[in-house]
Amino acid sequence: MIDIATLLFLLFATPVAFSLPIAFAWVYRPGAEWARKLPILSVFGLFVSLCIALYILFYFPNGTYTYPWLPDYNINFVFIFDYLSKYMGALTALIAFLIGVYGLEYMKHDYRLGWYWFFFNMFTASMLLVVYSDNLMLLLIGWEGLGLASWGLIGHWFRDDDELSYVGIIGRKVGPLNMFWSPSFGGWRAISTIRFGDMPMFFAIAAIYALTGNLNISEIDWAGLFHHIGAIGTVILIIALLMGPFTKSAQLPFSEWLMTAMTGPTTVSALLHSATMVAAGTYLFMRLSWYIEPWKLHHMHGVEMVYLFVLFLGLISALYGASVALGCRERKVLLAASTMSSLGLMFACAAASFWLGKIAIYVAFWYLIVHAFAKATLFLVAGHLIHATHDRFCCGDLELAKKMKVAFVATVFATLCLSGVPPFTAYWVKSAMDGIMHHLMHEVGSAPLYLLVTVSVIYSAFLAKFLSLNFIKGDKPKHLHLHGEVLMPIAYAVMVSMLAVLLYAILGHAEPIAGEFVEKGFERSSLAVGLAVLISYVIALVVPRLESPIGRFLGDRMYMPALNDYIIPKIGWAIAKIVDYGNRLIDTFCHQAIPELIATYSLGVRAIQSGYLKRYVKIALGFVMVALIVASLVRW
Amino acid sequence: MIELIVASLILIALGSALSFKSSKSVFVISLIALLIMLLLPEYRSYVALVIAIGILNLLSMTLMKNQIKGVDYALTALIAIATVYVVFTNDLAMILLMFVITSIPTYVLIMTSEGKANVDVAVKYITFMVFATVLFLAGAMLLVYSNSVNAGYLYVLGFVMLIIGLGMEVGCAPMHEWVPDVFDTADPIPVSIVASIAKIVPFVVAYKILIMTANPLTTKMVLFVAFVAAVSMFIGNIGALTSTNPARILAYSTVANMGYILATLVALINLNWIYLAFAGALLQLMANAFGKVGFFVSIKDGGASTYLTYALAFSFIGMPPLIGFWGKLFILLSLVKVGYIWLALILVINSAMSVPYYIRLARILAKPTIPSIVNAIVLSAVALTFITIVPPNWFIDLAKAIIGGV
Repeated sequence: MIDIATLLFLLFATPVAFSLPIAFAWVYRPGAEWARKLPILSVFGLFVSLCIALYILFYFPNGTYTYPWLPDYNINFVFIFDYLSKYMGALTALIAFLIGVYGLEYMKHDYRLGWYWFFFNMFTASMLLVVYSDNLMLLLIGWEGLGLASWGLIGHWFRDDDELSYVGIIGRKVGPLNMFWSPSFGGWRAISTIRFGDMPMFFAIAAIYALTGNLNISEIDWAGLFHHIGAIGTVILIIALLMGPFTKSAQLPFSEWLMTAMTGPTTVSALLHSATMVAAGTYLFMRLSWYIEPWKLHHMHGVEMVYLFVLFLGLISALYGASVALGCRERKVLLAASTMSSLGLMFACAAASFWLGKIAIYVAFWYLIVHAFAKATLFLVAGHLIHATHDRFCCGDLELAKKMKVAFVATVFATLCLSGVPPFTAYWVKSAMDGIMHHLMHEVGSAPLYLLVTVSVIYSAFLAKFLSLNFIKGDKPKHLHLHGEVLMPIAYAVMVSMLAVLLYAILGHAEPIAGEFVEKGFERSSLAVGLAVLISYVIALVVPRLESPIGRFLGDRMYMPALNDYIIPKIGWAIAKIVDYGNRLIDTFCHQAIPELIATYSLGVRAIQSGYLKRYVKIALGFVMVALIVASLVRW
Repeated sequence: MIELIVASLILIALGSALSFKSSKSVFVISLIALLIMLLLPEYRSYVALVIAIGILNLLSMTLMKNQIKGVDYALTALIAIATVYVVFTNDLAMILLMFVITSIPTYVLIMTSEGKANVDVAVKYITFMVFATVLFLAGAMLLVYSNSVNAGYLYVLGFVMLIIGLGMEVGCAPMHEWVPDVFDTADPIPVSIVASIAKIVPFVVAYKILIMTANPLTTKMVLFVAFVAAVSMFIGNIGALTSTNPARILAYSTVANMGYILATLVALINLNWIYLAFAGALLQLMANAFGKVGFFVSIKDGGASTYLTYALAFSFIGMPPLIGFWGKLFILLSLVKVGYIWLALILVINSAMSVPYYIRLARILAKPTIPSIVNAIVLSAVALTFITIVPPNWFIDLAKAIIGGV
């Protein structure tokens, strides 16, 4: 029997270790025929992780496992196994494995396989570390690993030479803005945005450690901490801590990097948008809420303010994301915007736990799971479509649907499941979410409910639009090359079938919490929302295209790129200007003024040395006289 | 104890007489006279350090032919013996005598050269030294007298005269005019003696007298010391910055170093810390002596091994663990402890300012490493700057013992 420490070590180390052969092979023999077979090893590494994650899910008791790291500082490798981490770990490992299998075929002819597989597996391992660690310090390692790997993967096609890897219409300009983004730019933007949020997060973690001497999320005395630092301190601390999740999960106004992250390979987008990276943000928020137990802290206004803020931030981001997706015509960018919308809903729902307790976190988490499988499926299909049609923009008709039956069926099922059309999977979860927002009526007002319903309706509309434009009523693809792929359809077929498994789990009451969902699903209000969603789905299916200035505005992401590409650079330039002036001042002062002054004085000092003793004696004795006279006067 | 001193003195007197016969034997006899000192029972580490400098001086003297060959060894040894003896006695007449004994031989030494006697330089030097000695002795007398009759006015005058005398003797600004000229035009070997061992006694004597006569007025008078010290640091360092002649750089470096050391006298306002100040002063004097001997000997030969010149420069700059670092550290600590923060700050600024010219000096004097007598002497000086590689706590104990005797 392997002990827990070894098992956990293998869980994190195997994916990385098994990606090293291809990584090194590519350094020394890039493009060699034998090297192109090595990715199978990487996928095997992911498979080992999956097995361990499943073993943890089914056989590990709940609780924490500690392995000493810096015991003198009360910082250790602390891993937690609870409801959230067990499911999330299994989900991450499964999705990563399936996408890995898909990637074997998708990336077959790539020019940088070593880079790709190393970062892909490191991405997965980092996410697993984030999922299972209870210690914030340990979590940070995974968190930073995610950031680094995302930079590597989004900018994977660093040569910027493939039109297919861009985002936006190349050459298009709106005012001073370039409305197209290259892979290298996307990678840079991702890491820079994320670092912006990570900085306050570091400080928040440091502050938590300084104040409590403990970094284990499940052990920290949160109530005592919040009481100690007061309402304003609480707001500052939690918001600083949540800046990491906000940027990673692309909430407003940090959403742009997620859209330009579509410059990476589709497999990366699929992984990034379902179970890793962006999910890490919401997952961390859920985990924190799970142990902060805000529903017990109703008397603390600081905590209430934060949760209210997160609630509305999430809902507004969800609305923004959904609207943008509605106007978007690029396959992957549409899906990216929809992810942002879903993440917003997860944040909002988890934030409702302040008023409604743990049930809200359960609902948010279930939504995360459903979304992960559906979104991964859609991305994988999108990738396959881009491969087949050589087009980033939505195109495809029934003829294409006939040729790509598996993709078509998978898309239909995934969109139905994700949009919340009854009685498919997300419907039940969304019903519970409706119920939660409904409950908030008393404390927060009716805005959350209305926002949620609006988002749901828009959401189903653009999913149907995605389906319709790609398989039913879209333009005929200019090029259509089916390469006889096998692994790719299998991967997304398995992926989409997981939604059926989830549906079974909910309806079959396999989970204690599922009963709540089903109960809510049969309420009249939920049925009404379901009906509205269905109607919008059908309408969008029939009329997927509607030219209007509003649509173009939405499609241009409401000109949010201006923030990243125009306003912030302007601020940056202003700061650079100020620094430049400061620099020049220091330069003039230190490199010209002071040396010249000193040189002048130095020459003055040395000018005394004329070589004549008479002069020296005059100076010296003069000083003696002056000193004696002054001393006498002072004394007198 | 006194027997050993007398024996040494007799030895060097005999040695000088022998100089008619052979100068080499004088060297040997002077060396023995110095080594005898090591038998002294007290303050052994101080004695050892002073004798080390003395031997370095003797060795460097061998590099130079001059008019009084033979006697120069004896004079050099005489200075070293006086420097040793000064810490053993508290008798006023004796310590003042030591002051004079370290001063007089340098008048002769500075005149020596390989060609014609260096009268020009000697006139400048002697003029200043005579003023200095007179002021110092008069000041010392006034201080002691005023202390016994409790006359404040005389104390003030005496204090000022003593400090100016001291400053003139060692080369503090603004009485430093003789230093650049003498250092630059005299032969480097006698200068290496003037700049190294001859600086120690005046400070020790001044410490002894000032501690002996310390009274409440001292608190105000040290302001004058601080002023002279600060001026000296600035003049020295600023003057050195644009000099390119190595001897001149060293001259201004001496002015600056004397400023650092003079600054320690402000600790007179709080005698609890005087031992730390004295330790700093003494250590800095040693650092200065090793460095000056090393550099001036290199100048004599047009340079020394690159590694050695840089090591000497680093010691002067104050790079740990070299001796120059500890000297400055103790000085700074004592200044901070007695509350003269501004002076400490000026010292730090000046230390920073000194970096470029010491590096320049090291670069000018750097030569490829070859075996030679000059390199051997410089190597010994460098080796001595490394004695503080272990933090020199023993030096503080030593300073306590010497000052505690007052």
